[in-house]
Amino acid sequence: MTRARAPAAWLLVLPALGLALFFLHPLATVLWRSVTDTQGAITAGNYLRLFDDPGLPHAALRSLAIGIATTASCVPLGLALAMALHRSRLPGKALIRGALLLPMLAPSLVLGLGLVCLLGRNGLIHRLTGATTDIYGFWGLLIANTLYGLPQVVIIVSAALARTPARHYDAAASMGATPWRQFLDVTLPRLRFALLAAAFLVFTETLTDFGSAVVVGGNYRVLAMEIYSEVVGQLDFGMGATLGVVLLAPALLSVWLARIARRRQDSGDAMPGRMLLPARHAWRDAALGALSLVILLPMVAVVGTVAYVSVVKLWPYDRTLTLANYTSGMPDGYGPVATSLGMSLLAACAGSVLVFALAAGLRRAPRSIARPMQFLASLPAAVPGMVLGLGYVLAFDRGALSGWLYGGLAIVSFCSLYHYHAQAFLAMQTGMRQVPDALDDAVAVCGGGTGHVLRDAVMPFVAPAAISTFFYLFMRSMVTLSGVIFLVTPDLGLASVTVMRLDENGFLAQAAAYAMCVVLAGALALGAMRLILHVLKERRHVA
Amino acid sequence: MHLRIDHIAKSWDGQMVLDAVSFAARENEFVCLLGPSGCGKTTLLRIVAGLTAPDAGRITLAGRDITALPARERRMGLVFQAYSLFPDMTAAANVGYPMRLRRESPAKIAARCSELLERVGLGGLGARFPDELSGGQQQRVALARALATEPAMLLLDEPLSALDPAIRGQLRSEIRLLQRALAIPTIMVTHDQEEALAMADTIVCMNHGRIEQIGTPRDLYERPRSRFVAEFVGRANLLPTSFVRDTLPGFLERRPPGGEATYEFCLRPEDVLVQSDAHGEAVVEDFVFLGNLARVTVAWRGRRLLAELRGNSTLARGEAVSVEALRGAWVCA
Repeated sequence: MTRARAPAAWLLVLPALGLALFFLHPLATVLWRSVTDTQGAITAGNYLRLFDDPGLPHAALRSLAIGIATTASCVPLGLALAMALHRSRLPGKALIRGALLLPMLAPSLVLGLGLVCLLGRNGLIHRLTGATTDIYGFWGLLIANTLYGLPQVVIIVSAALARTPARHYDAAASMGATPWRQFLDVTLPRLRFALLAAAFLVFTETLTDFGSAVVVGGNYRVLAMEIYSEVVGQLDFGMGATLGVVLLAPALLSVWLARIARRRQDSGDAMPGRMLLPARHAWRDAALGALSLVILLPMVAVVGTVAYVSVVKLWPYDRTLTLANYTSGMPDGYGPVATSLGMSLLAACAGSVLVFALAAGLRRAPRSIARPMQFLASLPAAVPGMVLGLGYVLAFDRGALSGWLYGGLAIVSFCSLYHYHAQAFLAMQTGMRQVPDALDDAVAVCGGGTGHVLRDAVMPFVAPAAISTFFYLFMRSMVTLSGVIFLVTPDLGLASVTVMRLDENGFLAQAAAYAMCVVLAGALALGAMRLILHVLKERRHVA
Repeated sequence: MHLRIDHIAKSWDGQMVLDAVSFAARENEFVCLLGPSGCGKTTLLRIVAGLTAPDAGRITLAGRDITALPARERRMGLVFQAYSLFPDMTAAANVGYPMRLRRESPAKIAARCSELLERVGLGGLGARFPDELSGGQQQRVALARALATEPAMLLLDEPLSALDPAIRGQLRSEIRLLQRALAIPTIMVTHDQEEALAMADTIVCMNHGRIEQIGTPRDLYERPRSRFVAEFVGRANLLPTSFVRDTLPGFLERRPPGGEATYEFCLRPEDVLVQSDAHGEAVVEDFVFLGNLARVTVAWRGRRLLAELRGNSTLARGEAVSVEALRGAWVCA
């Protein structure tokens, strides 16, 4: 006899099918392609060829170098910002939070674009001061990637800081620990795993980033650029796939280590107790304030420069202000922006429904089903966007599904959706954990079925997570570049890809205008999300 | 018999949780499933409710086999420990929920809701949301909801254990009054022996997935059958046969036949008479004043005995006392 209350297994059918078809299948295709030749025979030739081209081992080393350097700069700076937010009495914390939102709205490509306009050979600084500036290469990549990674480090570290209850500090202070000793003995030990997780995240993102690599990388060619030129430049898909696998390996390793770190993480006390109010400490606040300024000023300057360039007549030669770049001067009109919006909307709608069904179906599923599904749902975090995108090209450009999928909006949406599947799933599952089990049983004894459970027990608790997931997928899809770069066709221009093309061809002002459209759409979405969540909080009766 | 539970067995991941448990409940009877956490009492209640399927055994309700019936068709009213109200529905909407699922007419639902809320003492609070009600009020709403569809049985899963002691006592007697007034057969799960003694017609005392003893509260307290029941229900001095033979030989004659270690003598603290006596053989080790009573530990012939005296008695630590035993029961060791 089975359990009377059967877990709603049917909820899992569609999400599982989606993961198999649009994630596992393309991924397997990349792996398969890397070990076969053009005739389909199995060979190790692709991997041996890696060493024939002297450029490739160098590119791998450069990727590694930039990954390590970015991690080393991003993590301490992010820690400082998180400390400024949670362990200081600094005024104007809202400004810090606001500045940290910028990289979330602007793709790494836009940060790179801003950096070039500011510090490039013909950048604003050079124009204004005459100083020789050249941002292309290692330093440009380092700055762009660090700016891009900072908010994520701050989010992870802040969460851990908020979990440390005030009584630990009270205890340390009562035993005579100075503020500095309290930082070393109370704060840092409890941040170990958060810092580790943040480091792995930044390392993986930097390693697999394409946006800043293509704009500010210059002659400092990293692996992501090599994949791009193999596929787009030389149409050598086998080599592209092989490089993709090379890129996949460290990313997988890093995500795996981050998982271990998270599992060992101190989950905080069951009773967090009183919130910590940092003691008055003028020197600490002055130091953290100065540091925040030094870190965040470039952030604001870079995005600000993009905004400025977007309203300039002919960058950098004629800097009279004009709105022409947003009107007649747009080479492709608003088409790409509309396409991006449509694509993101589709990804957000399909994604939140699929992830909701998956998380709801797994709620009380037996471990034998829950464990592997959970692993599969989180695996996309370890797969670089470029590798997934390449998989889509290889898997869907021919074969049964190509006719109605390839070159369409849907395929680009799915690529973006499954690229960000892990984070969306995690957020939804965290929401699901708040639903008390007793409510399911209450529905059952009252005479309701799975539909009633979802509507009356699950939804009231999960609504905020579902809304956040929707907007998360929307905003990520608006700015995504690496995943979709191989999938766009001349008929199907996306805003982020248009920015890249215009930048490659030197139309910086027009590129900046498109970039600002993307940033604006993201900002509006963020505003809408906050408004909805706020209204929901007012109207809801869920703690 | 209204409800009959027949050799119900259940294991989770190879771990035996219920080992062929059987008992029956009469119409109008209030049955408490009492036992420590992990004894299987909640699993048994969930099996009765239809939320968990048993591995083996049979449940009949009013002569009808309901073992395979899903929860939603059993018409059981179930009240949980806590957090079982729908947070975004008002108290009245919560109470009306099972009726709405059964597609009753809105007018009928509204009338029944206000009647039930009145009944549990929440008249006029129907428009409040659960987060605007106290813990005790939330449990009253849950109780009203459980009664909404005129269930065949009321099942209570530790309904009072999340509440403050003062409210717990009050709601305890209210539930009992309501149950008598409605004459609805009820099973309540609890780990609180005082609650079980105060509320139950019949207590089913469980341990490790088996029933240790079934009986009235008085049965269980005065005539516990096993060491477990003696210790779990109330406090007990458990004395080995050899000690009783040396010190209290008068109780030996009622001892059932059996080996030296098969039975122990259960002596309740209030049945130990301790009196100040300069020639007494016992010495007061500890004296705890508790207001209406006092708890005394005395050392007597190499053993420690717990005694309860009235609160106005005073004994000093180290004082010599005499000890007498008034009554006791032999229990399986």
